[in-house]
Amino acid sequence: MLRSAHLTRLFVAATLLALAVAAARAAPVRTEHVEAELVSERTALVPGQPLTVALRLAMQRGWHTYWRNPGDSGLPTTLAWKLPQGLSAGPIQWPVPQALPVGPLMNFGYEGEAFLLTEVTAASGLADSKLVTLTGRADWLVCKEICIPEGADLALTLPVASVSDADPRWAAPISSARGALPQALQGFAVSAVGVGQELVLTFTPRKEASDPGEAYFFPYKAGLIEPSAKQTLLRDGDAWKLTLAVANQRVGEFARVAGVITSSRGFAGQRAATLDVPLGGSIVAGTAPPAIATVPLALPADTSASSLGVALAFAFIGGALLNLMPCVFPVLSLKVLGFATHGGGRATMRLHGLAFAAGVIASFWLLAGALVALRAAGAQLGWGFQLQSPAVIAALAVLFFVMALNLSGVFDFGRLIPSSVATWDAKQPFLNDALSGVLAVVIASPCSAPFMGAALGYALAAPREVTFAVFTSLGLGMALPYLVLAFFPKWRARLPRPGPWMQRLRQLLAFPLYGTVLWLAWVLGAQLDNDAVLRLGVSLLLIALALWAWQSRSAGALRGWTVAALAGVAAAAAVVWPVVAASTPTAASQSTSIDSGGWQAYAPERLSTLVAQGRPVFIDFTAAWCVTCQVNKRLVLNSSETRDAFTRSNVALLRADWTRRDPAIGQALAALGRNGVPAYVLYRPGRKPLLLPEVLQQSTINDALATL
Amino acid sequence: MIFRSFAFALALGAAQAVVAATAGQSAPNFQLVDTQGKAVQLSDFKGRYVVLEWTNPQCPFVRNHYNTRNMQALQQRWGERDVVWLSIDSSNKSSGEYMKPSKLDLWMHSQGAAQKAVLVDDDSTTARLYQAKTTPHMFVIDPQGTIIYAGAIDDRPSTRPDDPPNARNYVQAALAQATDGKPVATSNSVPYGCSIKY
Repeated sequence: MLRSAHLTRLFVAATLLALAVAAARAAPVRTEHVEAELVSERTALVPGQPLTVALRLAMQRGWHTYWRNPGDSGLPTTLAWKLPQGLSAGPIQWPVPQALPVGPLMNFGYEGEAFLLTEVTAASGLADSKLVTLTGRADWLVCKEICIPEGADLALTLPVASVSDADPRWAAPISSARGALPQALQGFAVSAVGVGQELVLTFTPRKEASDPGEAYFFPYKAGLIEPSAKQTLLRDGDAWKLTLAVANQRVGEFARVAGVITSSRGFAGQRAATLDVPLGGSIVAGTAPPAIATVPLALPADTSASSLGVALAFAFIGGALLNLMPCVFPVLSLKVLGFATHGGGRATMRLHGLAFAAGVIASFWLLAGALVALRAAGAQLGWGFQLQSPAVIAALAVLFFVMALNLSGVFDFGRLIPSSVATWDAKQPFLNDALSGVLAVVIASPCSAPFMGAALGYALAAPREVTFAVFTSLGLGMALPYLVLAFFPKWRARLPRPGPWMQRLRQLLAFPLYGTVLWLAWVLGAQLDNDAVLRLGVSLLLIALALWAWQSRSAGALRGWTVAALAGVAAAAAVVWPVVAASTPTAASQSTSIDSGGWQAYAPERLSTLVAQGRPVFIDFTAAWCVTCQVNKRLVLNSSETRDAFTRSNVALLRADWTRRDPAIGQALAALGRNGVPAYVLYRPGRKPLLLPEVLQQSTINDALATL
Repeated sequence: MIFRSFAFALALGAAQAVVAATAGQSAPNFQLVDTQGKAVQLSDFKGRYVVLEWTNPQCPFVRNHYNTRNMQALQQRWGERDVVWLSIDSSNKSSGEYMKPSKLDLWMHSQGAAQKAVLVDDDSTTARLYQAKTTPHMFVIDPQGTIIYAGAIDDRPSTRPDDPPNARNYVQAALAQATDGKPVATSNSVPYGCSIKY
């Protein structure tokens, strides 16, 4: 009898354990966009003790569900419990939400995985060794661009026992979710004062406190604080003040300010905290006309809307067009020269073409990798960013100059490079081709051809895989002419045959390179000063002398000429060193590049002030190293006709000079869906900003102004 | 995400002066083309009550009010009493939810909608003018051109079919009270629904 009872108890225990494990493993409900389930922190319900259970929502990438106040649109997730007798559940304990901008609107909610916690309590009289099933109906609205109402009937079965263990799967995430719940703000006295359209939350530390960084306030109630308005935290003496905008369409009494305050560095260590304070002062929103309402201007063509296919096609065309850009043209010419001299069989030719294409694509991948890495690091960079560094400009100038001298016949590579390297080079023509592919990409970077801007803006804002796809497409486009020539020998046959003309052509091709050097010197002047240009010039002169000396070794005393050549190179390096070492100034002296004609330097505050005044604003995003920009400026923007047209329409003119790295300009370009210069945009009062094409014509400006 | 935040910050930076379209304010005039290609101006209807209904047939909240025939019934009832009902689709042309005017027209027709006109606001200008946020977002304008109601269609933010018939409909209430010469009890509410696809 005793033995039997013991066995029974053992059996019950084993069953309970099995059931508990089964409950923990209960398959989550999968809807179209969300995986939902009820999970428990512990393996059993202990009568009289609270138990934390969670509604776990795992959203598909890019989709979100909502907080208790969903913001401008959306719906909070709801959980309606159906509990057996003796059990009770508290309200949802909402995790700190994210601010999710949707166009000009703002939503509050969750992406990824969210644990909505609820405390369940079993009455102390509840019988031991009993299985209970907690059921609940969860409903949520899940949105990306579209919104889909979803829901699920969920169940969680747990044994009632006198002791419980931590659930091996869910105890950790639930406990960390509970740890992250916002608690009442400590260590600060908070006051809220309404000042017309705004209200100011003042946080006064009770004792010394460090800078909270960026702050954002999530109000519990909708219709009081404008969700999409910018929130700025400013230091005021010992205190910090957060300015919030009263809702434009205010609903109901606004007597208290309650919600969750978050900050990047924390208020005395609290990254997220709750507050609930009475509102003093007076607010006028809703019924009286506000001075300035924040009606955000929609930005043209949200990049997420353009499909991947279109972006890839544009990237491909853009890549092909890069070949015609002035800064790539010398390489194209060189390469065509290479094709003419290579000779060899059809298969060899194809391999040359493929090697070049591989070089181009590999360097685009490298760029994409760097872009992804830098973007992850939060650096505000754009296409052409390489040329914002004086060191890179100087290095390129030297490289082009040396190449030009070679073409001119001042020296030959065969003699410059030790014979072993030279022959190795000759035996590895495919590596050679790949390297010239790399070079072609390096020097193509400043030429943001018309199709490039959009595709790159797209890539910068897109997921990693898409960035790589777009850059691959760019590379394929750029390599296209070489591949075509390699694979269609008939077309290649139209190329001139090798002959004495080649030497003359080679010498002729030196001149575009000298031109490129001049242009780079001018860019360096715009970045630094006249002194830098002179230093570069002297350095180039010394390099020319050194190369000439090197070339003369065979003719004269070997040692003397070698020493002279090495001395020349050393002197050149010494002269140019201060230029290379110069760090990129961040737009410290904008004035140098802002000329007359009514143009003001771009600053975000200046733009918003002008727009708030209701003036149309034209912004010229430009850089000294951008050839298209300079052409547009000389031929169109500086013409008297354009100036008159701007004056007639009372257009304010801003020039954003990106010659040197400037995060504010990088951000403004990114916001326009562009990633390089030139970019021209006309802000029109009450309308969408108008993006103009990258190649300007007089009629473009006139047509744009006609829309005002 | 970072990119969107920039776009957003710039959008806010470029704030522009307008008067909030809220109850008690005069309704800003606008001109749009309807799905039939006809130009329609708000000022055409001075002297009559006007209802503005922000709509988007792809939005589950809008669909719920049409599937339950709640919206059509309101349009019908007040149309018969000389109230001008204008449905506005402000989905931007660049948005995935943009519908061509002909398709939009067909959808409304298939629903048996009874509004005066369906207006196409494919650059979201008019939505911005009214600071419309959601679909549906409703405005009621009196014969003097003053907004007497702005906000949600009713007091049940949901997509459940049993809610519209049982909810307190704010538009119905505002029109009934105003045409009766009574003050509008609820003149503002928090709009609910899908975001307008700016």
